[in-house]
Amino acid sequence: MDNMSPEIVFHRSWYEEFLSKIDTDGPWANWDMYKLAYEAEKQLIVPSFHGLIAPEQLPNLKLLPHQVETAQTVIEKMHGKAILADEVGLGKTIEAGLIMKEYMIRGLAKKILILVPASLVLQWASELNSKFYIPAVPQRKSYVWEQCDVVISSIDTAKRSPHKDIISKQNYDLIVIDEAHKLKNHKTKNYQFVQSLKKKFCLLLTATPVQNRLDELFYLVSLLKPGYLGNADSFAQDYRSGKNDIKNEEKLRELINQVMVRNRRKDTQMNWPKRIVESVEIPLSNEERDLYDSLNQLKEASFIQGFSLLTLQREACSSREAVYMTLKKMLENADEHSMMADYIQPIMDKIQNINRNSKAEKALELIKKINDKVIIFTEYRATQLYLQWFLQQNGISSVPFRGGFKRSKKDWMKTLFQNNAQVLIATEAGGEGINLQFCHHIINYDLPWNPMRIEQRIGRVHRLGQEHDVYIYNFATKNTVEEHILRLLYDKIHLFENVIGELDDILTRLDIKNLDKQIAAIFEESESAGEIKIKMDNLTSVINSERDHIEEDKGNAASGYS
Amino acid sequence: MQQAAIHNFLEQFFKANECELIENKNGLLKVKLTVELDKLLTNRPFYWHYIEKTGGVPETMTLTLKTEPAEDKDGELIHFGSPRLHQIFRAAKQLSPYIRLYQETDTKGRFTPLVPWLCINSKVSCQCDLKKDDLLSLGLNLMNGAIVEGFHAHLKQMPLTPKIPDYCYTLTPMIKPVSGLKRLEHFIEGKIKEEDHQWAKQAKMRWQKDLQLLDQFYENETDEDVLNAYIKEKEALKEQYEPKVIVQMINGGLFYLDQSTFL
Repeated sequence: MDNMSPEIVFHRSWYEEFLSKIDTDGPWANWDMYKLAYEAEKQLIVPSFHGLIAPEQLPNLKLLPHQVETAQTVIEKMHGKAILADEVGLGKTIEAGLIMKEYMIRGLAKKILILVPASLVLQWASELNSKFYIPAVPQRKSYVWEQCDVVISSIDTAKRSPHKDIISKQNYDLIVIDEAHKLKNHKTKNYQFVQSLKKKFCLLLTATPVQNRLDELFYLVSLLKPGYLGNADSFAQDYRSGKNDIKNEEKLRELINQVMVRNRRKDTQMNWPKRIVESVEIPLSNEERDLYDSLNQLKEASFIQGFSLLTLQREACSSREAVYMTLKKMLENADEHSMMADYIQPIMDKIQNINRNSKAEKALELIKKINDKVIIFTEYRATQLYLQWFLQQNGISSVPFRGGFKRSKKDWMKTLFQNNAQVLIATEAGGEGINLQFCHHIINYDLPWNPMRIEQRIGRVHRLGQEHDVYIYNFATKNTVEEHILRLLYDKIHLFENVIGELDDILTRLDIKNLDKQIAAIFEESESAGEIKIKMDNLTSVINSERDHIEEDKGNAASGYS
Repeated sequence: MQQAAIHNFLEQFFKANECELIENKNGLLKVKLTVELDKLLTNRPFYWHYIEKTGGVPETMTLTLKTEPAEDKDGELIHFGSPRLHQIFRAAKQLSPYIRLYQETDTKGRFTPLVPWLCINSKVSCQCDLKKDDLLSLGLNLMNGAIVEGFHAHLKQMPLTPKIPDYCYTLTPMIKPVSGLKRLEHFIEGKIKEEDHQWAKQAKMRWQKDLQLLDQFYENETDEDVLNAYIKEKEALKEQYEPKVIVQMINGGLFYLDQSTFL
């Protein structure tokens, strides 16, 4: 590379035919058409390196300021290689579509490969076609790779032969990967497949911020820009201290911010609908209490470890059906000579004695009062089935929703919910890529311990397009493990009102890797309710004091990091 | 491009192709396509293949285009980003790559010589990881080698006709069209070299920087698959950053103009 002026490339194919037209005396174009062709080209040229012209060509798409800004940053400052890590519901797909469109209009990208989870292929195709007029084609036949310019596929399909070999022969200008956090492990086939692709421009989309895990961060960035964070050894030397701790954090953060855009709700300067959170404490009936307390005997008899007890207790708080399924399995798997049956049978009897579900009754009461669409989230399939039956007995229509549903079934359930049913009962992970803005009441029937999962639940409705304030009802049974969790995460840390990104920062600073595991550890290792309370209070105050520090820092350096 | 300008463009386009305008008012344009345009715009190659094989009588399609959104009217809404408009833009270019025209001039009954000019309309794009374009319309006098910029704008003002007017005759060019094209290329090169290429320098610096990082990342690797990845990444960086100026033809041709023009 020298410092002379750039190479000049003439496309000369035009010349030859022109000369032969002179020889054969035409045929010649019509003057009006000739002028129109020049006029059309004049409209299509892009007169500046800077700014976006795609929005002008998308008059029917309502773009938000942060989306336009993100696209411009990615193209002009990040040179087309970026991690898009907006919070759930801020429109990452729109940002990716906008960047794609801009590159296509400018003629910088023609061949584009979009890799998304199988369940989202059709949704991506429909959004790109209808919102961006990008003729994106879901890969179904193998000729599509070669004949279509913009192709959408799942990684699982793409990495298999014969597709893999065909793909490696294509010269892609832009590669887009949705749910890129699934590529965190560099030893997987998926990671190696993506690594093997030639990436001129590349967008990695993820809703899970990667800052928490040093290794994952390194490998994700190295996929995008190998060497940007050094190699594995130098990275460990520069940024790792001890086994899991980060050093030179400021420098690392600064580097990351040059390849990652992360918009947060609070930064978008939009009037987001409010989140109104209500904790609903529910006393157990005598029979339910009896069951809950009896689970302790299993641990005392050393049949189960602390963690399993915790699982059983959480299930018992959800529904007798949920705990029954687990106990039944334990019985089936038990050694013939084990005394376990002797312990479990009385518990099974207690399950039989329960004739009402206090939580379900509370939910019914609330749904009737709301008199509008409601989403109920539960962690357990058994609870989901029970609730569906229970609501039906009481004249309330509901539809189930699970992560395992096929895309078409998900869409169908969504439509049923929108048009025909009052309640949607979803289990965990039911929501990836499904938008339910037409509903604004959520009941967290039982609470996950991982705050990111809570955020993803709420993100289904508290997203672009939601016009109402969102009501969130957190159920917790009194004097149980649930109540502790509710107190900590939701009353003391105010998780729901605060944006999750903030908690994420705090946990990063404190180097708390998995909040849910920390909490589980407290329960497992504590001998008494008093000890649990003290440890939980301790955790709360540590988190809250770190938040205060962050607030102070922000006050001091108004223009911190973006 | 405003909606009114789009409407005007479409109207001109279909008229230039001698399509019948069945309706043309209030932002609504209903046109019966000609065979040529039907083949270009309706994407039904099998139909045309069939008609041509069987010698059947073709029935061309009618397009109904809306340039104003109106709920009560059927039709395809056309705006600046709509695929249909871009298809029509492409069709206009496809239909008019080469031209030859004569200036209509007042001969007063005397024999009048017309001077041959070679015109090219080209798009000049500066490209690295960013891109911008410029249009360049040049006219070369094939008698004396003079070059005029902004040639197309001049031509648009003149009365031009595809048939040589009465009493006019054309001068035989001193410069052959093939060398004329070389002269124009040379002129374009000179013009580009004069320009400020800060953008290209900066792109090269970005390229160099990323290349260094890449080299460090792979420096201790010996595994063949990994080294293949290195080669690919290196190519990708070249494609991403390498600064280039690309010159593409839009259209052009021969224009025979009165001697007094451009004097």
